[in-house]
Amino acid sequence: MSKAKPIPAQDIKPAPRPAGLVLDAQLHLLDRQILDVDGVPVTTVDDVELSGPAPDEPIPEGAEAPHITGLLTGPVLGTRIFGGRPPSSRFIRIPWDMVAGVDTVVSLGVRANSLDASWVERWMRDQVIAKIPGGRHDPE
Amino acid sequence: MILNDILGRDVMDSNGERLGEVSDVRFALDAAPAQLLSRARMVGIVVSPRTATSFLGYERQDLSQPWPVAQLLRWRHRGSFLVLWEDIAVMGPDGVRLRSEFTAYESTLPR
Repeated sequence: MSKAKPIPAQDIKPAPRPAGLVLDAQLHLLDRQILDVDGVPVTTVDDVELSGPAPDEPIPEGAEAPHITGLLTGPVLGTRIFGGRPPSSRFIRIPWDMVAGVDTVVSLGVRANSLDASWVERWMRDQVIAKIPGGRHDPE
Repeated sequence: MILNDILGRDVMDSNGERLGEVSDVRFALDAAPAQLLSRARMVGIVVSPRTATSFLGYERQDLSQPWPVAQLLRWRHRGSFLVLWEDIAVMGPDGVRLRSEFTAYESTLPR
């Protein structure tokens, strides 16, 4: 890897200040836990989907800035270790419209049961926990 | 487009000279209010000349404790800058290329 060309410090200008909340993807979104409206853990943010632009295609001047369309979760353990990322089809998408807040956790405005992302929880409940004697009701 | 396709990729200027790596992508929630959160518009990319990894964002915030860690991470990320979306010519898994008259901005987060 070649050495990066430095930008002289006097050429780095103070950044314009956006009107709303500012989020850096790595710092504030990626790997954060996602909780549903009742505070039930759903999953973690493994990736973020943007509305554009087309990868490696020239961006026309004046093009509208892309926005976050959804948070993605999926089987990323292997790719975290060995590199790359799973194919897009393997990710489960949580639309940005459902996100209610970004703090130390990402909170959603919907219940976990309505999301595809919590299918493992539901499968465990129905296929494993429900078959244990006494597993269908609260402890007495 | 998926964000991890551009994080850590090389950033070139219009002449093909390497300026660093995509350390982060900045978004702003400044669109019209929606039912829950407003739309998160991409503001630009944070370019770090030395390393694409960021640890807790010391270099982008006013964190100073523990002092040795803060100093080390600031030094490691010296020369980081923000490039706005308007100055990006091409973006994708092959890297990011900037427009010829791009402007570098300070990468610190607004408080």
